[in-house]
Amino acid sequence: MPASPLTLLGIESSCDDTAAAVVRVGPQGAEILSSVVEGQMDLHRDFGGVVPEIAARAHAEKLDICVRAALDQAALGLGNLDAVAVTAGPGLIGGVLSGVMCAKGIAAGASLPLIGVNHLAGHALTPRLTDDVAFPYLMLLVSGGHCQFLLVRGAQDFTRLGGTIDDAPGEAFDKTARLLGLPQPGGPSVEAAAKSGNPKAHRFPRPLLDRDGCDMSFSGLKTAILRARDARVADAGGLTVQDQADFAASFQAAITDVLTEKTRRALTLYLQEAPAAPLLAVAGGVAANGAIRTGLELLCAHMGVAFSAPPLRLCTDNAAMIAYAGAALMADGVRHDMTLAARPRWPLDQNRPAMLGSGKKGAKA
Amino acid sequence: MTLILGFDTSAAHCAAALLDGDTLLESCAEEMSRGQAERLMGLLEELLARHAKTWADLDAIGVGIGPGNFTGIRISVSAARGLALALPHAPAIGISTFEAIAVDTNPSDTSGKIPAVPAPRDQLYVAQSGRTPVLLPRSEAEGLGPLALPAVAAQLAENIARAAAVKHATGGAWPAPAPLYIRAADAAPPRDPAPHILP
Repeated sequence: MPASPLTLLGIESSCDDTAAAVVRVGPQGAEILSSVVEGQMDLHRDFGGVVPEIAARAHAEKLDICVRAALDQAALGLGNLDAVAVTAGPGLIGGVLSGVMCAKGIAAGASLPLIGVNHLAGHALTPRLTDDVAFPYLMLLVSGGHCQFLLVRGAQDFTRLGGTIDDAPGEAFDKTARLLGLPQPGGPSVEAAAKSGNPKAHRFPRPLLDRDGCDMSFSGLKTAILRARDARVADAGGLTVQDQADFAASFQAAITDVLTEKTRRALTLYLQEAPAAPLLAVAGGVAANGAIRTGLELLCAHMGVAFSAPPLRLCTDNAAMIAYAGAALMADGVRHDMTLAARPRWPLDQNRPAMLGSGKKGAKA
Repeated sequence: MTLILGFDTSAAHCAAALLDGDTLLESCAEEMSRGQAERLMGLLEELLARHAKTWADLDAIGVGIGPGNFTGIRISVSAARGLALALPHAPAIGISTFEAIAVDTNPSDTSGKIPAVPAPRDQLYVAQSGRTPVLLPRSEAEGLGPLALPAVAAQLAENIARAAAVKHATGGAWPAPAPLYIRAADAAPPRDPAPHILP
């Protein structure tokens, strides 16, 4: 952490939330002075998922408004800031580009340093923003676009222990909701339906559970639900509300089993490091699911590992985490220039040391 | 004098012009099919520096809002909105390529012609006077009458700066620049219909 306080503007636009925040980070810890998140759920609802071009169009016309609101709520002007931090990837490239260009305009016009932040690093460092958690900790990032285990040893030191080899669980929740005729977004609606369902009504696959390691797969689960639903619709001419609940509960049980078992394996690897205060942190919208969270909490209790989940508004996409991660990078001496590139793909792993801007020229550093 | 910076990335270029009152200090353009987001700000800062100007010297920003490449338009519009936020005395003024064509420095080029902008797959964005701009197949657009296409990139940037200067001189407040897409976003509802829910 910086020796003297740093105040950063953070900007995030990598998926379907336009966000801006002001965060102050000092020796005593971090303080979120403002955090504005403008969702786009209504724009995408009819299409059963986030449409990249629609998202990009919304970001381009909302970003500066969100920044203005974040500054106003923090009662600060750009002159009070030390830097502008922006998500430079990974994500939907149209939105990331708009965020990066808006940040460049602000940084140039206000003569502020510019810092490009990896969106995944923002999530992975959130336990330090909220609870000042000590390194090393294990992070399970599980959202609509991502699913991976990260061993976090430092603000620029991440080891990916495993992750999804195809879809993210959040996508699977959305797809399942569509197949069952439940509303979008699928996370909350599938969870609500599952409450009155029988999780053993259908036996859906637990992909890759028979394989070693921490990698996961969720696309086959979606196909299995599609087939089972089609069979039920062919039999009965449709789904009853109880059918919806049983499918939802059985799907949720399969996802919970996979995440819990793979987390157990990731924790085993993590505990080999003999951390002084072992801790599993979760982030991402899927981490808000009650059944999944309960499964993880029981697992952690069983393994003697503390469990940390940030409040939902900091679990899902936000710009406070980007400002915080930017401050951590700034304290490490990282700066970017006006050639900062937006990157649709940007894996976060220590084995590729050039990834978080330590020395290589410009954006791809 | 009024110092205005115009820029555009609506097609395969980064283009900029610096206008001091009526005097064009310089216009410049670099052709590129990709990489505008990485190059644009550097191009603008170099242009300002060549004339011993800084961002704080600007009185207004003219930004090309298209139509054209969706990503390209967003690159310039997002940068302009960010700059305007940081430069409260230099509003960002959106200028469509149609407006830029109309202020072309040689009036005989465009008199009586219909402003048109090349679009993918041999189509044209066309702005007939008094009508909402539309996207048409080239043959259909050419049937409407003589067309006026955008100038080369450096001239386009100069025209954008000049159009912004005219708007700036009239005073008042301008809406934040917004991309002029004309074509709706490609998006279709999911193909698989929701299941029938039985009572």
